[in-house]
Amino acid sequence: MDMIESILLVDDENLFHLVFEDACSLLDITLNLMTIDNADAAENHFANLVKENKPKPDCIFVDLNIIGSSFDGIELCRRINFVHGDGVVIGIISSSDDEQEQAKAVKAGAQFWIIKSDEIEPRLEEFVKDFDGYKERTAPFKVYR
Amino acid sequence: MIVLNDEIKKELVKLASEKNIFLEGNITKLILDQNDTQFSSYIQQCISRDKENRRKRLDITKTIQQQNKELIEWKAHNQQLNKDLQFALEASEKAKQLAENDLDMLQKRTQYELVGSIVKVALYVICGVGTITSILFAITLFTDIENKTVESSWSNMFSILLTNSFSIVGTIMGVKYASDKDRKRRHDDICGKCGKDL
Repeated sequence: MDMIESILLVDDENLFHLVFEDACSLLDITLNLMTIDNADAAENHFANLVKENKPKPDCIFVDLNIIGSSFDGIELCRRINFVHGDGVVIGIISSSDDEQEQAKAVKAGAQFWIIKSDEIEPRLEEFVKDFDGYKERTAPFKVYR
Repeated sequence: MIVLNDEIKKELVKLASEKNIFLEGNITKLILDQNDTQFSSYIQQCISRDKENRRKRLDITKTIQQQNKELIEWKAHNQQLNKDLQFALEASEKAKQLAENDLDMLQKRTQYELVGSIVKVALYVICGVGTITSILFAITLFTDIENKTVESSWSNMFSILLTNSFSIVGTIMGVKYASDKDRKRRHDDICGKCGKDL
């Protein structure tokens, strides 16, 4: 199983950045992880990458409610998918399991939904197995519970 | 991948054996050992130490995360409790105010009833005494009985009754004023200077 080249995590909870970083390292998911705690900053970052023609992250994990931002994670998904990006694997990572929100996320172009909890590692392992399908746009939307 | 020269490899191995300082982080996964058994074992040691440290940090971070979550829940719970307490306090304050008003009304009503009774009795006495002396005076007038004493008694009686009437009214007003003042002082003692009119 290959590592994911680069991952961007957008989440307002800094402690989760550490959890995610350690989980990624322990599970050999990626060696290149960038974390941003604000949706506006993430959008600007992504817009700059596109503008300056720099490599975009292979996969983006977005929190649903990003406190301190002017829009939520689903709107960030929509903007990255339909305004700035093309072909980036993007999905939501949240403690919520709300089906209505999940339906909205699908409309915004999210390809997966990972439920945040104490045991995040098994879900990330499962996600990595499905990653190629997401990259090739052949895998359907999936919720990792 | 990164290829290190022999000198650096030796230095790194020496640093680990002498000072127990190892490379750590994701960079350890990018260094090629090039079939160097000693360096290969060093890199494996670095990777396993790094994993061990990360596992520890991950466990600690998760614990802190859980504690933070519980603290946030507790904070919300406490805020709700404080709100409820505030509502209950306000409700009890209102109930106290209502009870005080009721008590006040009751006291006033009792007081007015008492005052009314006193005034009635006083009026009956005044009217009775006035009527009796007037009848006596009329009898002396119509029966030609010597009436000087009754005449002076009648005028004295009326002046006394008049003075006493004013005295009774004055006493009633004085008692009312004193009781109002006493009530205000008691209210101030309990509430402080709350500025509410009684």
